[in-house]
Amino acid sequence: MTIGWILLSLMIAFCALGVVLARSPISSAISLLIGFVGVAILYLALKAEFVAAVQILVYAGGILVLYLFGIMLTDNEALRLTRQTHLQAWPVFVLILVLFLAVGHKLYHSDYTPQEPVHMLMVSDQSQVQALQNRLAHGAAADRHATNPQRVARVLYGDYLYPFEAASVLLLVAVLGAVFLAKKEV
Amino acid sequence: MSTAAFVILGFLLFCLGLFGVLARRNFIVVLLSIELIFAGAGINFIAFSSLWKNLTGQVFTLFLIGVAAGEAAIGLGLLIALYRLKHTANVDEARELKG
Repeated sequence: MTIGWILLSLMIAFCALGVVLARSPISSAISLLIGFVGVAILYLALKAEFVAAVQILVYAGGILVLYLFGIMLTDNEALRLTRQTHLQAWPVFVLILVLFLAVGHKLYHSDYTPQEPVHMLMVSDQSQVQALQNRLAHGAAADRHATNPQRVARVLYGDYLYPFEAASVLLLVAVLGAVFLAKKEV
Repeated sequence: MSTAAFVILGFLLFCLGLFGVLARRNFIVVLLSIELIFAGAGINFIAFSSLWKNLTGQVFTLFLIGVAAGEAAIGLGLLIALYRLKHTANVDEARELKG
């Protein structure tokens, strides 16, 4: 089990390195694709099956294909023959290495045990307490047989309904902005 | 695997993505590096969702994927605009705002 985790982490890390260091943008994109499959396997192992499926669908099926179209439209020999990094690459590398070591050391020695949940509900009436307990018990009974997408849907369309609608507006604006930016005469 | 390992893996992805954004010249590779940063954040969300037995992290990862899709659309629109203007995807060529 532990070997599996280590191999998976190494695969993700090497794919990320490949994205950053590859000479051709096609290699970067394919490396990112494999890395995202690794991340999806990580999500599966952490019992987030629905998010893993969405990760594969949206990234591999949507975003990466979009990037491949972008590479097809803009890649040329002259760009490949020039230097692939800025002059500041080495100073940036040193700074990021220092950042990684400093913050990574702090992260390694932190305590991640969960806190007690804060009860923000201020209920005074006894009948309300009873109703709340009934609802919680009913929800727990319903949740025992629920699959992961059902549970995610209950949270997504219950507690986060308005952020969900806002996300759809965000996507609409993004599509309109992309069309506006890419059209012939701005 | 302990939670610290997940957090450090996410931070490693963030650092590599930051390096790609700051050091690479090709605009497409800069966008791909931003996707790496998103993946690092997603690993953090899912790891803590699993540790704390709370589905909010999974829901926020879904929002994160939506934001990443919007970012990809806008980024490719910018890429096409840059290519139309300069006939290259090299970000060093776009220096109109440099004093």
